[in-house]
Amino acid sequence: MANLSPFEIQARPNRLLMQAASCMLFVICMGLYMQTSVRRHHENPEDRVVPSLTQLAAGIHASVLEPAEEDDYIPADNASKWERFKHSMIVKDTISSGRRFLISLALLIPAVVLALHIGLYPWFGAFFMRFVLFFDKIVALSLLPILFIVFGIEEWSKIALIVIGVAPTMILDVTQMVKAVPQEQIVKAFTLDANNFDVAYRVVSRQIMPQVINSLRLNLKPMMLFLFAGEMIAASDGLAYRIAIMRRHMGMDVILPYVLWVALLLFLIDFSLRTLNRRMHPWFQA
Amino acid sequence: MKQMKKHLSRVVAAAAMVLTMASFAPQAKAETPTFTVGWSVYAGWNPYFYMQKSGILKKWADKYGIAIKVQRFDYAASLDSFVAKNIDACTMTNMEALDMPAAAGVDSTAIIVGDYSNGNDAVLTRNGLTFATLPGKPVMLVQKTVSEYLLERGMVLNGQQAQLNKLKLINTSDSDIVAAFLNNKGNQAVVTWKPLVSQIVADKSVKSIFDSSKIPGEILDLLVVRTELLNTPNGQKFAKAITGAWYETIQQVAAGQANAIKYSAAASGDSVDSYKEQLKTTALFSAPAAAVSFTNGPDLQKKMDLVRQFCFTHGLLGQGIKSVDDVAILYPNGTIQGKKDRVRFRFNSAYMQAAQLGKL
Repeated sequence: MANLSPFEIQARPNRLLMQAASCMLFVICMGLYMQTSVRRHHENPEDRVVPSLTQLAAGIHASVLEPAEEDDYIPADNASKWERFKHSMIVKDTISSGRRFLISLALLIPAVVLALHIGLYPWFGAFFMRFVLFFDKIVALSLLPILFIVFGIEEWSKIALIVIGVAPTMILDVTQMVKAVPQEQIVKAFTLDANNFDVAYRVVSRQIMPQVINSLRLNLKPMMLFLFAGEMIAASDGLAYRIAIMRRHMGMDVILPYVLWVALLLFLIDFSLRTLNRRMHPWFQA
Repeated sequence: MKQMKKHLSRVVAAAAMVLTMASFAPQAKAETPTFTVGWSVYAGWNPYFYMQKSGILKKWADKYGIAIKVQRFDYAASLDSFVAKNIDACTMTNMEALDMPAAAGVDSTAIIVGDYSNGNDAVLTRNGLTFATLPGKPVMLVQKTVSEYLLERGMVLNGQQAQLNKLKLINTSDSDIVAAFLNNKGNQAVVTWKPLVSQIVADKSVKSIFDSSKIPGEILDLLVVRTELLNTPNGQKFAKAITGAWYETIQQVAAGQANAIKYSAAASGDSVDSYKEQLKTTALFSAPAAAVSFTNGPDLQKKMDLVRQFCFTHGLLGQGIKSVDDVAILYPNGTIQGKKDRVRFRFNSAYMQAAQLGKL
C-alpha cells in the first residue's frame, strides 16, 4: 500500500499518481473558470468579462486567422489557412513584440561583459559599482518622460525601458558571481602564465556562464513586464498594444488567448535556455 | 440588487429572531438600501464630488429614505465596475455606454444627460498640418475612444473621408501623452481632451485644427444606471434622488457659486481658473428643461447613429456582433434604432422631466 500522507518525506507515489497530482490545480482552475463563466452567462447571455468556450473559440479564431483591424491586407476568398495565419493579428503582434524583446536581450550581452570587468578589475569596480548600485534602485518606469525625449516614442524608448529596467540587476548579479570565483584559481592561472584577459575570458567567464544564463532566465519575466508597460503607454502594434486596445471594449475573448500565448512564449524561451545550459555546461549542477 | 435583497432578508430574519427571543429588545432598525455611483475626473462630472461634500446628496437621499455613496474611479476602472455590476450607476460618454455595458449585454439607461463636449476634445498639430496633410503622419491618441471618433469626424467634415485608412495612429496612454508629445518636436499631431489640451497648446508651435465644438451634441456625458434597477421601487427612488441632487448641484456650479466651483475644481486637482476654462467648453444642460428637450429632440437620434456606426466599424461592439442593429437604442418617444428584441441602451428623460416640473 502506497503511503498517501502528504507529510511523508520517504513517500514514493507511483508515476500515475504523481501525474494526476500535478494536473490537479490546472483542473481546479479550469473548473472554477467554467463555473463562473456559466453562472455569469446564465445571468447575462452576452457577458464579456468571463467569456464562454464558444466566445473564446471565436476570439482565438479572430486572432489567429483574421488580419489586424488597422491592416490594409484583405485575404483573398480562397486564401489558404497558412496564408491567413501569416497575415493574422497575433503573428503581426508577436513579430513586433518579439523583435523588441530580442533586441533588448542582445543588448544585455554587453551588460554582462561589463559586469565581468566590474567584478574582476578594481578600476572598473571603482568607476561603475556605486553608480550601478544607485541606478539599480531607480524605478525605470518613472523615467519615461525622459526616455521619450532621448529615444522618441517609437521603438527605441521601449527597448531602452527594458534594458534600463533589467540591466543593472543583471550587472549586480553577475558581479557577485565573479566575486564568488575562488581567488586561488585566479592566482593559479597567473602562475600558469595567463594574462589578464585570459583570466577574465577563459577562467572566470567560462565558470560563471551557466549561472549567468540562469540569472537571465529569472529576468525574462521582468523583461516582459517592462515590454508590456512600454507598449501599453505608446505603440501602434505589439502583444500588449492589442491587449490595451481590447480592454477598451472588454474584449476578454481575445485578451485571454493572448495572455496564454505570451505565457507559452515565455515558457518556451525559458525552456530552450535551460536546455542550452544543460547541453553547454553538463558539469554544472543547480 | 439580488444580493442586497438576500442580505436584507437575512437581516430581517435575524431581527425577527431577536425580537421573539427577547420582547424587551429595542426595535431593530431595517437597513436602508444603499446605492453606489461611480464617477471619474472630467469637467462635467467633477460636480459629483461637490455634491457629496456639500451634503446636497445626503439631503436628497434622506428625502427618499435611501443611502447613496459616490465613489471616484479611473475612467476605465469605473466602466469595468459598472459592467461587472459592482456599482449601480456610473458617469460615461454616449460612446462608452454603447460599447462597454450595452454591448456586453448589460441593459443600461441614461437618466441624466449632463452636458456635451463643446471644445473639450481637440485635434492639435504642429507645423501647420491640416486634415489634408495629416494622413501618413503619426497621430498620438488614446485609440478606440472619443478621441479617435473626433479625429474621424474631423477628417470627414473636411472632405478627407477617402484618406481615413491612411491615418497612422499611435495608441498613447493619457497619463503620458502630454510629455510624450511635447518632448519631441518630431511628433506632429495629437488628439486629446482638456485639461491636457490646455497643457499642450501652452506650447505656441501647436495649433488646434478641430475640436468638439464643431460637432456639438455628439460627445455626450451621461449618468447611466442599470435598467433593471429602474424596475424596482428602491431603484426608482434612487434615480429620483440622484437626479434631484444633480440639478441642485449643477445649478450652483452654473451660477458660479464659489464653493461649488472650488470643490469641483479640487475634485480633479485643477486650479479654479483652469476649471472655469474647462467649463467654458463644456455645454452644461444646467436646466432640466434644456436636457429634456435635447433628449426628446430628433437630433439626438441622428448623432447617436453616427456614434453607433463608428463603434460598429471599429469592432467596439465585440467580435460576436455581426450587425450594428444588434445593439439597439430606445429613445424617449419610443423609437428604436436597431432590432426591437435587442434593445440594450435607453435614453430615459422621465426623471429629468420630473426635475423640470419640480416633482422630485
